[in-house]
Amino acid sequence: MLSLLEQIDSGTLWQSPGGIHPPQIKSLSNTRPIARLPLAQEYVIPVPQLGEQAILAVNIGDLVKKGTPLTQGQSATYLAVHSPTSGILVAVEERASNHASGLPVLSCIIQADGLDTWSLLDSHQDFQPLSNAEMLTRIQAAGIAGLGGAAFPTHIKLNPVSDIELLIINGIECEPYITSDDRLMREYSHDILTGVSIIQQLIGPKRIIFAVEDNKPDAIKAIKKALKRHPINSAQIRVTAVPTKYPSGGEKQLIQMLTGQEVPSGAIPAQLGMLVQNVGTVFAIKEAVLDGKPLIERVVTITGERATTPGNYWLPIGTPIEHVLSLSQTPKKPPQHIIIGGPMMGYILPQASAPIIKGTNCLLLPSDNEMLVEQQEKPCIRCGECAQVCPALLLPQQLFWHAQAKEYDKAASYNLQDCIECGCCSYVCPSDIPLVEYYRVAKSALREQSKDKQEADLAKQRFDARTQRLEEEKTAREAKQQQAASRRKANVTNKDNDVIAAAMARIKAKKDSSPSTQEITAENTAIAHTELAQKTDKKAQIAAALARAKAKKAQMATALNTDITSPEKAQLNANEGAITHIPVTDSPIVDKKAKIAAAVARAKAKKAQMATAQNTDITSPEKTQLNASEGSIAHIPVIDSPIVDKKAKIAAAVAKAKAKKSQMATALNTDITSPEKPQLNASEGSQRSITQTPVIDSPIVDKKAKVAAAVARAKAKKAQTTAAMQPQDRVTTENQTESSSEQTPVTDSLSIERPVLDKKAKIAAAVAKAKAKKAQAQQENKD
Amino acid sequence: MLSGIIFAVIVLTLLALCFGLLLGFAAEKFKVDGDPLTDQVEALLPQTQCGQCGYPGCRPYAEAITAGDKINKCPPGGTATMEKLATLVGVEPEPLNQIEESTIKKVAFIREEECIGCTKCIQACPVDAILGAGKLMHTVISDYCTGCDLCVAPCPVDCIDMIPVKQTTKTWNWQLNSIPVTLLEKEKPC
Amino acid sequence: MAFKIASSPHLTQHNQTHTVMQRVLLCALPGVAVQCYFFGFGSLIQIILAISVALLCEAAVLFLRKRAIKSTLNDNSAMLTALLLAISIPPLAPWWVIVIGTCFAIGIVKHLYGGLGQNIFNPAMAAYVMLLIAFPVQMTTWVAPNSIALHPVGLLQSIQYIFTHMPQASIDSYQLGVDGISMATPLDTVKTSLSSGLTMQESLQNRIFADGLPVGWLWINLAYLVGGLAMLKLKLIRWQISVGVLCSLFILSSIGFILNPDSHLGPLVHLFSGATMLSAFFIATDPVTAATSLKGRLLFGALIGILVYVIRTFGGYPDAFAFAVLLANLCAPFIDYYVKPRAYGHRISH
Repeated sequence: MLSLLEQIDSGTLWQSPGGIHPPQIKSLSNTRPIARLPLAQEYVIPVPQLGEQAILAVNIGDLVKKGTPLTQGQSATYLAVHSPTSGILVAVEERASNHASGLPVLSCIIQADGLDTWSLLDSHQDFQPLSNAEMLTRIQAAGIAGLGGAAFPTHIKLNPVSDIELLIINGIECEPYITSDDRLMREYSHDILTGVSIIQQLIGPKRIIFAVEDNKPDAIKAIKKALKRHPINSAQIRVTAVPTKYPSGGEKQLIQMLTGQEVPSGAIPAQLGMLVQNVGTVFAIKEAVLDGKPLIERVVTITGERATTPGNYWLPIGTPIEHVLSLSQTPKKPPQHIIIGGPMMGYILPQASAPIIKGTNCLLLPSDNEMLVEQQEKPCIRCGECAQVCPALLLPQQLFWHAQAKEYDKAASYNLQDCIECGCCSYVCPSDIPLVEYYRVAKSALREQSKDKQEADLAKQRFDARTQRLEEEKTAREAKQQQAASRRKANVTNKDNDVIAAAMARIKAKKDSSPSTQEITAENTAIAHTELAQKTDKKAQIAAALARAKAKKAQMATALNTDITSPEKAQLNANEGAITHIPVTDSPIVDKKAKIAAAVARAKAKKAQMATAQNTDITSPEKTQLNASEGSIAHIPVIDSPIVDKKAKIAAAVAKAKAKKSQMATALNTDITSPEKPQLNASEGSQRSITQTPVIDSPIVDKKAKVAAAVARAKAKKAQTTAAMQPQDRVTTENQTESSSEQTPVTDSLSIERPVLDKKAKIAAAVAKAKAKKAQAQQENKD
Repeated sequence: MLSGIIFAVIVLTLLALCFGLLLGFAAEKFKVDGDPLTDQVEALLPQTQCGQCGYPGCRPYAEAITAGDKINKCPPGGTATMEKLATLVGVEPEPLNQIEESTIKKVAFIREEECIGCTKCIQACPVDAILGAGKLMHTVISDYCTGCDLCVAPCPVDCIDMIPVKQTTKTWNWQLNSIPVTLLEKEKPC
Repeated sequence: MAFKIASSPHLTQHNQTHTVMQRVLLCALPGVAVQCYFFGFGSLIQIILAISVALLCEAAVLFLRKRAIKSTLNDNSAMLTALLLAISIPPLAPWWVIVIGTCFAIGIVKHLYGGLGQNIFNPAMAAYVMLLIAFPVQMTTWVAPNSIALHPVGLLQSIQYIFTHMPQASIDSYQLGVDGISMATPLDTVKTSLSSGLTMQESLQNRIFADGLPVGWLWINLAYLVGGLAMLKLKLIRWQISVGVLCSLFILSSIGFILNPDSHLGPLVHLFSGATMLSAFFIATDPVTAATSLKGRLLFGALIGILVYVIRTFGGYPDAFAFAVLLANLCAPFIDYYVKPRAYGHRISH
């Protein structure tokens, strides 16, 4: 029993099953040397990886040279893209793709300047001194992808995880019509062999087979001749003529013919210790590693009966196919189809504006009677010819039935995934059934199904995780609430009286107009500014009224507290809105101001309650609730301003009336009523006069302003029933006021120091409760 | 004669007992622990967790179906899912009780410059596919989004759109439709 | 600028269903010609009758099924079915036999199962079996070969016989084969002789045999063999089914003949009498109702051969191809299910 390598050395060839012998028609294009076409005006280079794995390396409007990289990327699968000519990058936009679907894909548009000047190339005399990593980097930087059609990044393929024993250079080109590899092998055989030696140095295979189909005797001759003169170790390399049969150029089929082995389903040849490289790719590797040239052009066969000058051309990647057609197509009946690739596996291009891409090896321009006669699908007569020609040994008939019946699972059980879409079955089908199309649809449906399944699994997983999390949060919250409740109970029993007493004492002290030492600074300054002691009586009255209002609110708050399970803080904040300004009302400056404050506070409090109500059934970060209350807090200091005009007073009165009236209406509605506007104007005016020290850094202000704006927008949205103009007005005014009001130190301290705020809120709540009790007592007294 | 009858009765009784025991033993011994029906039903549901069935998620609806609820309450699954459910549960297929949503898959998209950071959508999302914090801009992780629509309504500033997932050359599913279409037209009677 | 989209491959070979059927029909011609030479113009009339009825019937069914009529008629499959049925029945059978048979084949066996490609039974054979069971007398009254017939039948006479009635002699005269027109087939003769206690050698003494081989039938079978080889050459059929049929029949009959030559026909008689070659190349190879994989087809053919031998030797009917083919048709899906080729890359050793 000979080993595999010995058998290969002895020239053994194996049979691959199936296959067909379509007419070759290669002589149409392989007689002329590879030529060039004039430059196009515009080049369209698809950059599908942009935004995912790559970023733009040049700016729009920049001048790019031939070979300038257009994108940058870090990931392993990143495939570099270069400018195919010199010119200006005019746009990055979606253009029709060179794909069977023709769907638009993100592309770089380069306006050629016609000079075609190269960027600086980093060329090497010799590749031997280069390390493997250096060579791979150069290959990756050159953006080399498999030129056989699959366009798989070559630097990944050349960096296999397992040892490669056998390197196969694929010069088969089994598709009819195509001759690009044929011409390349004839004209650049030496360079190709250099490329082979580069790969040899990279992966160190034991044997190299240069496989060429026996219908290309000239190419075989050229390679053999070059091999004699080339420094490459010719003992290791073997040029094998493979009998002509379609699809022997398929990677798996070629391996079977050359080694008798089968690549296991779902595996890659590297697992068998084999590597297959297309000759075009090998040439590109040589260009990249030695000359430093990126992959910006390739040989494309232009052929078919409609082509005026069939042959092979060096076409820059990104050349619009329209441009090629204008130069090489018989201008007759323009809307005729173009086939990209060969007649067996190529696809019809939906849009002629699509560019040449790295995998485009042929532009086939067939005349109407050459191929694709309109054929009607007839019933399958189960002749079984398809199964005879299938190189993957599948049962195309069964696959077809299941695919047609949309039983994709069953089709998959007949190994649909192993279909290489070579088209042999459709070729021999006497009933003209487009079998390959059915398989493609079935394959994509299967892909879709598995994707949907994956997504559903993921969704379920995430949903379960979320449900669990919510459950945990709920129990944690309940525990906390219980704790808080017990603490409150303790507080009520022990300290309530003390608190009330303390509050009473404080109020009394204020009545005596002796400034309390424990008031906040703002209040202190306010007191320092004024000596209106004679208004103390009035002030007391106000305080009483306020307390009454507070009592009501506090009651409501407590009611909510018991009913709903929302975080307490929301209510606390609501209270806080009202309570924080108690010192303000206490301040002896202006009673009117106090009134306004009261009204506003009430409105705000209601709003805050609304917010809490909305939040009752949801559990969200505490900040959400704070949001609602913060707005109200922000307002209060504004009213602190010493200048108060009549307008504000009126507004306050109206607001109060409204507030009372619309108990059933939502607090937000009250908010929307126009009276607030003058008041805001007033505060705006006042704002200007205040000279505050700008302690706050601007970003915070900006952000807050934004938040405020959004809040305003939200309000506007809710006030859609009111006049169309009104909300807009309000948005602007309120926007201004709120943003300006943020600058008061009180707000700042509140919003910055959360723990402090919470604490304060709690204190405030306690105070409110105390007040409420007091007010109740007062009321009872009155009654 | 009589003894023969008695004998026959005894033999038959004994036989019945033996086989009964055997069957009982077999039933215990070779019991098949298949997927509970709920799990199978759940596996068929699309897991969008959209709640359009009236249940808070797919699992609860699966439980409800097992308990005898109707099978036509899942608009995202469409008729296909309904038919599969019908086969599984063993009931007659019935038309969906809501208009079937278009089969185009959609994902939520937040117009980020308008987002106020209210976190309401975060709370509404059944699969935690929205990222963000209070007063900070939110965004949808579109890979996780099931297109359930649940975040659209809570948004106070209406900044969430349901955008159809764009077809790319990678997701294109070979609907060349020219060939089948021409065929269908030609199949009609001459 | 946009183009019409079609799926690859854009090249196809030009061997289409209707050309395949057409060529099969042509390949059957030598056999038909020889049959006409030996049994008169009866077969020709039957063929014409059958084809016209088949086309009419198919058109009617297609109309009822609301399918494209013209393109379906063009596929020549109905014509082939009609031809096969027409050459299988006795040449001078009354006209209504072939009309009923053809209508049954096309309308019921083929179209009730969904038309071309969908039928599980070979339409011609199913119709033949139906006729054989429904009209046993008409279906077993074969004509004496011209070379040994007392009164060879001319064209006009054939038409007259087919469309009016055959001057039917009594059953016994037909049994003895002396009325000059009708005569039992060789296989039938042997079966009758054997059952009446004669040995094989004595049975073969009948004048329908010459040198132990059936008169006329030998040449007809040879002609079909030539047609079959032509079909193989033209790649209209694959060799598996035919070889399967002939080999199994040959092997079994050889074994039988070696073990007991007194009661068993020799392999050559088996191969060159009755419908052996016609069935092996033209009937059993019908792809629609056969197994699909190559190995499966070999099995399918072998199964037919075995069944034919068993029925011919031990069964109640002189020839058995129709039954054998139908029984094998039944087994085809089963064979397909178990004889799946191993797909590329699914070798166990990896």
